[in-house]
Parts: sequence; C-alpha cells; structure tokens
Amino acid sequence: MVLLALLLIPFLTALALMATRPTNAARGIALLSTLASLGVVLMLWYSFVPGQTITSVQYDWVPWLGLRFVLGYDGISLLMLLLTAVVFPFIIGAGYTQKLQHPSMVNALLLFTQSFLFGVFLAQNGFLFYIFYELSLVPVFFLLLYWGGEHRRAITVRFFIYTLLGGLMLLFGLAYCVMQTAPISSDFAVLQTLRLPANTQIWLFWALFLAFAIKLPIFPFHSWQPDTYTMAPLQGTMVLGGVMLKMGLYGIIKFVFPIVPIGVEYWRDTVIWLSLFGALYAGIIAFRQQDLKRLVAYSSLSHVGLLCAGLFAANTYGISGSLYQAFAHAILVVSMLYIVGALKERTGTSELGAMGGLKGKLPRLAALFFLVMVNAIALPLTQSFVGEWLMFNGLWQLNGWMAFAAVATIIVGAVYMLYAYQRAMLGPDRWKMDMADAGRNDHLFLVPLIAITLVLGFYPAPILDLVNGPVQQMLSTLTALY
Amino acid sequence: MSALILTSVLGVVLLYFGLFGNKKLLAPVGIVGLVAALVLSWTGWNPGIMEFPTMVEFDRMSVLFNCAMIVVTILIFLFGIDYYERMEENVAEHYALMIFSLTGAFLLTSYTNLLMLFLGIEILSIPLYILAGGKKRSYRSSEASFKYFLLGSFATAFFLMGIALIYGVTASFDLHVIQAKLATGASSNVLFLLGSFFVAIGLSFKVAAVPFHFWSPDVYEGAPTLVTAFMATVVKTAAFAGFYRFVQMTGLPPALANTLLVMTVLTLLVGNVVALRQSQFKRLMAYSSIAHSGFLLMAILANGVMTPNTLFYYTFTYALATVGLFVVLTLAKRAANGNEAITIFRGLFRANPWLAFVTMLLLLSLAGIPLTAGFIAKYQVFMLAIGAGFIKTAVFAVVMALVGIYYYVLVIREAFTPAEETPVLVVSPLNWLVITLCGISVVAFAVWPLNLVG
Repeated sequence: MVLLALLLIPFLTALALMATRPTNAARGIALLSTLASLGVVLMLWYSFVPGQTITSVQYDWVPWLGLRFVLGYDGISLLMLLLTAVVFPFIIGAGYTQKLQHPSMVNALLLFTQSFLFGVFLAQNGFLFYIFYELSLVPVFFLLLYWGGEHRRAITVRFFIYTLLGGLMLLFGLAYCVMQTAPISSDFAVLQTLRLPANTQIWLFWALFLAFAIKLPIFPFHSWQPDTYTMAPLQGTMVLGGVMLKMGLYGIIKFVFPIVPIGVEYWRDTVIWLSLFGALYAGIIAFRQQDLKRLVAYSSLSHVGLLCAGLFAANTYGISGSLYQAFAHAILVVSMLYIVGALKERTGTSELGAMGGLKGKLPRLAALFFLVMVNAIALPLTQSFVGEWLMFNGLWQLNGWMAFAAVATIIVGAVYMLYAYQRAMLGPDRWKMDMADAGRNDHLFLVPLIAITLVLGFYPAPILDLVNGPVQQMLSTLTALY
Repeated sequence: MSALILTSVLGVVLLYFGLFGNKKLLAPVGIVGLVAALVLSWTGWNPGIMEFPTMVEFDRMSVLFNCAMIVVTILIFLFGIDYYERMEENVAEHYALMIFSLTGAFLLTSYTNLLMLFLGIEILSIPLYILAGGKKRSYRSSEASFKYFLLGSFATAFFLMGIALIYGVTASFDLHVIQAKLATGASSNVLFLLGSFFVAIGLSFKVAAVPFHFWSPDVYEGAPTLVTAFMATVVKTAAFAGFYRFVQMTGLPPALANTLLVMTVLTLLVGNVVALRQSQFKRLMAYSSIAHSGFLLMAILANGVMTPNTLFYYTFTYALATVGLFVVLTLAKRAANGNEAITIFRGLFRANPWLAFVTMLLLLSLAGIPLTAGFIAKYQVFMLAIGAGFIKTAVFAVVMALVGIYYYVLVIREAFTPAEETPVLVVSPLNWLVITLCGISVVAFAVWPLNLVG
C-alpha cells in the first residue's frame, strides 16, 4: 500500500492542481507533495534490509496479455526511487525563480512525470514498466511544447518521435519475449528465467537496448539531446537530465542484462567503445560551446557515455560505480542547471562570451558555482569521484585501453568545466549594472545539494550497500550463463 | 437474426417518418430502434445459431461485431442530430440508408455461404454510394459518390468471378461444404486459388488495402463528414469481420498468404508514409484508416486463436476514436468557415480545454500510446504476428507505427498551440456527450481490455 501511495501522492496532487486556477500557490502545494513523497521513500530506505527484494502490490490486470500490476523494489530500484524523490523537490523549487505562465499547470505536469517515474522504478512487470515508461513522456511533451524556447515545436516533436522509436522497439522485444513464456507472463521474475538461443539473443539485444540507448542517450543515438536540453524550460531539462535518463540505465539493468546475457557479452565491447567515443566526442564539443546551458547538455552527454560504459563493463566495480554515478549525476545536473538559470536571471543571457568577470559582483554565487563544479570535474571527496573511480576500475579489469579512454573523458571534462568557469566568472568585470548576489532561495536550493555531494563523497557506503546485493546477484546469474 | 429483421424494418419506418415530415423524430426513433437491435443481438450471445437453414450463423464473434457496429452507429446518429439540423431535405433517407447499410454489415459478420457474403457486401455498399453523394450540390461529393460507385462495381465484378471459380471447384457456396472439400485436397487447385484470390481482392477493396485503396482518400474527403465517419468505422469493421470469416473457413493457402503479406507491407507503408504529406484532416484520416487496415491485415495474416478478438478489439476502439475525431472536426470546421485543413485545430486548447484533452486522448489512441485502447490493440497485433512467426513484418510494422505517431502528434501539437485568434467553438450538449463517451471509452477499454471472442 505504501508503494501505491508513492504513485498516488504526486498523481492526485497533479490532478488537483490541474483543476485549480493558475496561481503561484501551486508551487507550494507541489513542493509539499514532493516532500511527502521524499518522506515515504526515506521511510522505505530506513526499513530496508540490504539484499532483499520486496513485492507488495499484486493485481492481475490483463493476464491474457501478460500484464500484471505488480509493484516492488530491490536495492537498485530503491536507489532510483531515492534519486527521484530527492531531486524532485529541488526541481519544483527551481520554479520559484522562474516566471512561467500557468504555474499550476507546469507543476501538475512535473508531478505527473514524477508519478510515472516512480511507476517505472516500482514496476515488477515488463509490460507495466513499459506503460509507465511511455506515459512519462506525455507530460514532458507538453512541458516542452508550451514552455520551451526557440524552435520548440519542431524540437519537441523530434524528441518525442526519437524516444518513441526506441520505445516501440522495446515493445516489440517485449512482445517477442512474452510470446516465449508459457503461460503468458511479462513479470520480470519470469522473463529472467527465459533462456533464449544465442543467435536470437544477439539480435534481440538491439530491440531491447535501443530504447535505453536513445533515452540515455549514447553515441550515435544522441542527436536529439543537445537541442532538446537547450530548448527545454529549466525545470524540463532538470527532469530530462536529472531523472528521466536514469530510466535508461535502470531499463538496461532490468531488461537487457537478465534477458539477453549472451547478447550483452557479444556486443559488450561495441557498446563500451561507442559510449566512450561519445563521451570524449561530447566533451570536446562541450569545450567549444558558447552557451552555458548547451554546455551542460553536452557535459551530461559526456557523463552519460561514461555511465553506460561502466555499466557494460559488467563487473562489480563497473555496475556499482555506474549506479553510484547515476545518483551523483542527477544532483550535479540539477545544481548546474540551477546555476545556469541563476546567471541568466541576473545577466539576461547564458552566452559565456557575454558574461565574464561576474565573480566580483556575485561572490557568493561564484563560490557556490565553484563547489558544484568541483563535483562536476570529480575531485576527490565529491560524489562524482567515487562513481568515476569505481567505473574506471571496472573498465580497467576489462581492458586497459578502455580505462585509458575513460580517464581521458574525465580529463576533458575537467578542462571544459574549468574553462567555462573561467569565461563566466573570472576576468575583468564588465558589468555596469548592480546585481543581487545569491540570496536565501539560492542558498536553500544549492547548499543541500552540495552537502549531499560532499557527504556521500566522503562516506559512500549507504548507497553502495544498497546496490551491492542486487549487483552481486545479477553478476552471479550472468557469469553462470556465459 | 431478429436484429437483422428489426433493422431492415427500422429503415423503412424511418423513410415513412421522412415522408410525413417529422424531422425531429428521426434520430430518436432510429436510436431507440438501434438500442432494441443491440439488446436483441446480445440475446443471441450463446451458442452459434444457424439461420435460413445454413446461410448465416450467429456465433459469438458475429454477435460481438454486430453489437460493436450498432454502438458505433448509435454514436453517429447522436452526432447526426446536430449535424443534420442545418440540412433541409432528405434527412430521413440518410438515416434510413445508414440503417440499411448496417443490415448488410450484419450479413457480412455472420455469413456461412458465399452468396450471403455477396449480398452482405452489396447491401452494405449500395446505400454508401448514395450516401457519399449526400451533398447534392457539392461537386466533390458527387465526384466521391461516382468514383466510389465505379471502383466499387469493379471490385464487385472481381469478387463475383472469385465466387464463381470457387463454386466451379467445390460445387458449393456453403463454406462448411467448401471446407470439407478443401480438406480432401482441393486447396491446391489452381482455380480455387485464383477464386480465393479474387474474393480477397473484392474484400481488400472494401477495407482499402493497398493497392486497392485509391478510392478512399477522395471518397473520404468528398463525402459528408458524418458519412465519412460511418465509412471509416462501421464499414471497415464489417469488411474485416467478413474477411476474417472467409480466411477462417478456407484457411490461408501459401500463395494467398504470401499475397496478403505483400499487401500488408504495402498497406502499412503507403498508408503511413503518404499520410505524412497530408494537410487536409479528412485525407489524413483516410490514409490513417489505410494504415490501420495494414495492422488489421497483419492480424488476419497471422490467423491465430486470438485473431477474432484482436480484430474486434482493434476495429471497435479504432471506430470509437475515429467517430470522436470526426465530431471534433465538424465543430472546428464550423468555427473555421468550412476549412478542413489540419491547422483549424490550432487554439483548440484555449477554446475548449476539455475538448482538446479528449482530442488528444483519441489521437493518442490512434497512435497507440499506452493507457489508450489503441496501444493494447497494436500490442495484440504484434503478439499475434510474432506468435505466427512474422518477425520481420512485425519489426516493419513497429517502424510504421512510429511514422503514424508522427502525424498524429502533429495534430495534437496544433490543438495545443495557441492560435492568433482563438476559434469560437459551439459545442452542443449531444456532441459533447459523443466526444466524451468516445474519450472515456478509449481509456476504459485500455484499463479493462475484455477478451470476449476467445
């Protein structure tokens, strides 16, 4: 019942908000709702014993299509729930600095997204997962279509179609797998026991993987990402980059690894090299960006490449590192984007060339930016350091050159971040007007996020313990199948 | 059976009402009659009843299809009350012709004799030829009617030839006898193959499968919107039910299966790709209807245990979404002074949020996005196709479904884009009811997808 509440709290709040007049009070209500969800997830976390798998809600929805309403979670799901629940109050909070039309509608759409994301991470049935996975696109579609920036009409549709291409391939793959079960079922527990022939797995891998490769996105399925991230309203980009792309990672763990292990082994090197190449390539492009928001988009692309490579290393270090980094990345993206928004609010631009020398005017914001950046370039004692170090280790066990490429992306990352900071904040002050330095709202937003990165960078055990059990279990079944 | 008789009488009664000028009573009487027919059909739910010794058989499949068609016709009649209010003459004939057409549709879902199939198709089609030309003073309407008639007769000729050839091989029109003959080896007979091939052509024409689809965009565009809605829904449902009965009885000889496979692929391709280029909403719906025929053909091709249920579910939910959209089109068209371009939907959300929301649901259902019935329908088709081993066709259909999503999303985008001048939509309570019913049922059937036929 608790899990059902997790779905319903944001959903019902969103419905209520849609029915009300467009007022700013909507933000407060939405914030309360996300805090309530956070409370529920923290409660789940508190009572969770590492290594267990909990299935609580079970209902035969459409048994003859293999669709059952089964909700549950293991350590990995819980990590994803935690990530969603932690990040969403901040995403709603970011609305306080934005002057958007129809705040109640924006917040309703954001809460719908949160509800569907919880659904994705709670679903223990492939079909149910798919339904939530696709549904989460619908509110985001409207968020981008109504509150996006330039060229939003074209970019939104391209984003929608691109993502659905993957989604439909996943549906096909799912239908294929379901047809192999008797009696028909698409419960993860049943799908994981499928032993498909090797040559089937080799092509089925792409049917299942494509959706997630596009969602993340990894090279060469990324072309929708920079435009969409840049055009989307700030909160939309936070949702996309902070939480939605984690569905890709989670999907790979739930669908690809257990169902087509031989396919994973067959394509592993290809995927890792594609991801690493994409990570380097995006890093180099990020270096050349003039627009800070676009730079964040490319940097996210670069980080995600590394995430995927680490995951496909398919060993303890790689997978735990990837999952750990997923959490770090969510917090990083949200805080980076918040700074982009804060700078834009003050200077009226997000062009790096036009900024310059803001440190003198905005010392406190510059300091906060610096702390966020420290996490972005993965200095030791930050959360990203832990994740990237683990992934680096995982790749090293597999192949030295891969580890080398991974390190190269980290170096490139440091270069473009520092360069961006330099261009935005340092240099001669050329701003004649007065600007308000970081105020109460900015501190309320950024300080907790920075605190999380530092605390978990110093003491990563709570998160690593959470995922360790399921990762070991996954690896033992994987190695048994090779 | 009694429903069949009731509807034929109902049509005549409506004609009499027309004679005495009770225009206001037409639709209510029609609807009451249809509800009665619905009840009568439903009472025939249990085992298959043969009628006219062995000419028609009302089994579960036909009862379901009949009920679905009656429900859709009732919705269209509800829509008609407002639609025909501005029309002075011949309203009774329109209602009566639709009822007659529905009677033909009943035969198509329940025949066990090829003669009945032929009768069904003709009773279904002839009223449609007239209905398509319903706007007498419109050139486009007359053109549509004439085109439909000419091409329709052409298809009928093929169809009759096919029946004759099958008779030549098996010496019977009765599907049970034919089935028995086929079991003893007649199925490899070239004449039989040719015959079933011709029958398939005639049916493909009715469902607008490529390459027999050329009539549909022009006829859809030219015919009065209400008639277009009827053609896209009831007629398509009946034709697919008829098609399936034929395939179910004769089986699918490899040669015919291969032909169907090619037609399925072409239908999916042409329907979806050409729809991308349409700027007129009715033409878009015509190509979308062709595209959906492709998915339905795939279900027929798979010819599995679940095929009848899939066909029923798919056609019914498709019909609900389509009727709703045509009502919305009519409203938007009035606000835009008769313009039928997709751009007339712009500003719909500002004008009437609920209407825009339901329009979105209906379009998402046609596109096949989760938690709408269209999604479950497509999923069933994919499962059927994969189960029957058509893996590559299924992948192709998936890609085509994506193309489909694109043009539906374009319409949704229009509806949710603010217009420079927000259109003023006048929604009569009945139209609101029809649209809302369609919207709700499209979601309800996704949440409770019943498995009735199987």
